[in-house]
This record gives sequence, C-alpha cells and structure tokens, in this order.
Amino acid sequence: MYALADCNNFFVSCERAFQPQLEGRPVVVLSNNDGCVVARSNESKALGIKMGTPYFKVKDLVDAGKLVVRSSNYTLYGDMSGRIMSILSSASPKMEVYSIDEAFMVMDGMNSEQIKPIAHSLVHQIRKWVGVPVSIGVADTKTLAKVASHFAKKYPGYKGVCAIDSEEKRLKALSMTEIGDIWGIGWRTAPKLAEQGVKTALDFVNKPQEWVERRMGITGVRTWLELQRHNSVEDEQESKRKSICTSRSFAQMIDDEKELTLRVSDFAAICAKKLRSEKTAAYTVGVFIQTNHFRDDLSQYDPWYSINLDVPASSTREIISAALQVLKSIYRPGYKYKRAGVIVMDIVDNDDIQPTLFDFDAKARERDDKISQVMDKVNKSGNNILRLATQRPGHYADGIKCDFRSGLFSTQWNDLIEVH
Amino acid sequence: MANNKKTVLSTMKVDGIHVGFPSPAQDYMNPCIDLNMELVIHPSATFYGRVVGNSMLDAGVEEGDILVIDKAIEPKEGDMAVCFVDGEFTLKFISFRSPEDVKPVKSKGKVLSSYNILEHKNLWLLPANKAYKPIEITESNDFTVWGVVTYVIKKIVKK
Repeated sequence: MYALADCNNFFVSCERAFQPQLEGRPVVVLSNNDGCVVARSNESKALGIKMGTPYFKVKDLVDAGKLVVRSSNYTLYGDMSGRIMSILSSASPKMEVYSIDEAFMVMDGMNSEQIKPIAHSLVHQIRKWVGVPVSIGVADTKTLAKVASHFAKKYPGYKGVCAIDSEEKRLKALSMTEIGDIWGIGWRTAPKLAEQGVKTALDFVNKPQEWVERRMGITGVRTWLELQRHNSVEDEQESKRKSICTSRSFAQMIDDEKELTLRVSDFAAICAKKLRSEKTAAYTVGVFIQTNHFRDDLSQYDPWYSINLDVPASSTREIISAALQVLKSIYRPGYKYKRAGVIVMDIVDNDDIQPTLFDFDAKARERDDKISQVMDKVNKSGNNILRLATQRPGHYADGIKCDFRSGLFSTQWNDLIEVH
Repeated sequence: MANNKKTVLSTMKVDGIHVGFPSPAQDYMNPCIDLNMELVIHPSATFYGRVVGNSMLDAGVEEGDILVIDKAIEPKEGDMAVCFVDGEFTLKFISFRSPEDVKPVKSKGKVLSSYNILEHKNLWLLPANKAYKPIEITESNDFTVWGVVTYVIKKIVKK
C-alpha cells in the first residue's frame, strides 16, 4: 500500500510554527516578489480568498487588520521540509519526496491496520517536533492515497489519517470527490469532463476504458485504473531531473543589456550549482526574456533560444558563458523586460559524460570544475562571495520584493526567535 | 553537514604523512568534536533561540545567551522551557505546583528548593530572578510549551 503524507497549508504552517500568535487567524503567504497569494490558512480560505489572488486585492483586508500577510520565506520552508522528510523517511525505507510538502511512503507488505498506527504516530511526531500539521492518506494506489489524504485533511474526525481500505469506502470517497480534485486531472480537462456529465470521480470510473482513452489518452487511462486500485503510476526511479529552470520576475522592469546580463548570469550560476549538487551536467542551455504582459501600453517581446554544448557541462563558467551567448542573440534594445530565466536541459549523470574526440580541452574542463568546487564551498552561506565578473554582488534574491518576510528562524544565527 | 566533516578529516590525514617517519598519532585519529553531535539530541526537532532580558539570571541564563531548544522532549516538572504565553516567547522553569507550596529546605547550611507534593491543577512558570513574579497559567491564557531547553550557550570572550 501507499501512504501519502501532505502538510496542511504548508507555508502558513511554517510561519505559525515560529509565530504561534498567527494560530487561528487568517494568514496568507505571497509569491516571490509579493505578487499574489500562494498559500492560505483555513481561516483565509473561509474569507473567500482564492489561490493566485493578487496582493493588491487583499491589501484592504490587511490594512484593516483582518488578514495577516507574509512574503514567501523559502529558506525557512526548505529547512522545515527537510526536517519533516527526515522524520517520514524513518518510518518507511522507500519514500518518494513528491514536492516540498508531500511525500509518498511505499508500505510494501503491510495492510492498512498495520499502517494506520504508524501514520497516526507520524502525524503526532511531526506536529510536536517540527510544529507543522500533516495529513496522511493510505490506499492501494498513489492516486487513491491522494484522495484519502484530502479526506484526512478535511474532516477533523480522522485525526489526520484516512485509509481507503474497503470497497465501500472507495466508492463513497470517489462519489464525494469532484473530478477536478483528482491527481492527474488537469484544470483544463475537468470542465470538459463536466460537460460530458462526469462531475465526480465515481462518474469517471463508471465510464468504460475506451471512453476515457478516446478523450484523454493513456494518461487518463492510468488515472482511471489507479482509482480502481490498479497501480499504474510507476514508482519513481532514482532518476535525475530532466531540466532545471531558474527564473525570476524583476521588481523593476529592466531595459539595459548590462543589467540583464548580470541577472541572467546569476540564474545560470544557480542552474550550474544545482547541476553540480546532483552530480549531473547539461547538454543544452536556454534563456528566455519576457516583457510585462500586463502592460498593454508597452511593446511586447518574449524570445526564447537555446544552444547545445559539445560536452555536457556543470561549471559556473561554462553555463554562464553559454547563457550569455544565448542572451546576446535574443536581446533587443527598446523593450522593458519584466522577467528572465535560464533553463538547462538534456541532463546526464556525471559518470555518463562522453567527451567528444575533437576540440575537447580536458585540462580546461578540469580547471573549470575545480573553480566551481571552490565557489560552492565558499558560497555555502548563500551569499555570492565568489562569483564571475558578470554576476551581481550580494544574494541572488536581492532586489526581489519581500516586504513581509519573517525571519530565517531555523537557518540564520541573527534571526533566531527571541525568548524573554 | 556530513560532507563538510569528511573534507576536514581527509585534509588532516593526508598532509605530512608520506615523507619521513609516520606520525605515531596516525592510528589514533578521531574526527574532531562535532558540537552538533554532542548538543543536538533530536536534529529534526532542535531549534535555537536568543535570550532577551534577565528573568532566569539566577539559573545562570542572561541576556544574549543562545538556547538549544528540543521540541521532541516531553516537558516535565522543573524543566527549563521556552513557552509561548499571550503573544510572546518566555523562558521559565515549568512547575505543576504553586510557588507557595515551594518551601526552602536547608541541608548542611545550603538552601535547597523543595516542593510539597500537593495536587495542583494549574501550571506555573517560575522565573529565576526575584525581580520577576511567577506566572500562573490558566485556561484564559494563550499558552503552549514550545520546547524544552537542553543547553545554554554563553559567549564569554568580549570583543
């Protein structure tokens, strides 16, 4: 069986762990740059605030003292996530971290009566040790475990753990779940299904397989099978990621090529660092720049281009120089750019790198890799102390709006909680 | 963290061993003391705090000290704990008995504190400084024991 652990309103819960006065109050966390709402407490959901609501639309509530707002604090959330994942992994030898706040535990050879007490004690332990509420759903397939976790979250009576472990419970759960809430059913697909009279997950599984396949292809069939207790979503292999993207919106629009060069260099350096930390390298480096789509009064331009390297690279110098080459080819003066990003693709394991026979300077490669290693060590604190001349000084997050960010309580010596 | 430690080790071992006499200490090499290993019992549950004010002065804790706080430990009578009371973190001893029941007991001239074991429903937060009053926690308080203090780190050298 599978057990899906899912943190409740994770970002808000992390804020509350260090600011217990926010308990029971409507709280929202904003996206990078304080753009829009990306996490809500149950109380702010009850106020009718939707995901993605721009900040300016809730500002009145904040000013009136009816809503507490926080900028996103990914350093804090990342640290809290690591703690939670390490507790979860102690309960299951096979675990797949699905996102910052979700993980599937593979509970091979156990039935739900054996899993439930373990799940309950995990919920209790994580709440007490880390201070974050977690819900766990238990079922035969990953998709059903997701459904179960929704019930565990929604109904306090479950005390954080819900198992779909009988035919009766499965049918009841499916009949109570809207099709759009099923894992794998996209927001575009759900309204189309509704037009065909498929409103709940039960309506969906009652359709014949051919019907599903004709409309949704093989991925739809997988979901359809999973909801009927046939495992079709494969356990994740130890595979590395296929691409890494680092992109940001700018607090102020940028039209200067030099300034854009600095930003793109930073993004490329972050991508390179991620590649190295996963012991991989990339064949392809791409860059995109975008103007502000919401400004109809300005001319729009959002190009994207990528180049292939002869040999996959992960050194900061190589990735930056490739990214800047791309930027040079796509940059046009006269536009105001709001966003840019670097994507590295065709990622391979370091061990699988095949040097080309010609034109490969092994010594230069070795030198670049060594320099990168030194940079990684020195830059551990998060500040770009050692950087290429094309990068900006300071932290890459500088210049990003975060007016309401709480302290880096768990990772920064100067940001510790104050105890009176 | 683990990686970090490994690098320190390897540089220590390799240097200066390949020429001349082998170091007699070579076989006795141990990794250097890691404070995380010694001071952090439950890494996933350990957080740190900074002391503001002097309500625990007599217990040796003063302004600016760093607290190692372990949320995994179940608080019990007499523990020093970080509590959240009505909007603020506060550092106090936890007691399930009223301070009036605490009577000084003398033993060989030394004053020791002792408790009359009496039933008491409420929880008390006891400071270690006469200038501060014990706090009685009742249902009207917004209260949690946030974590138990396991170590206090004090900076001695003045820069």
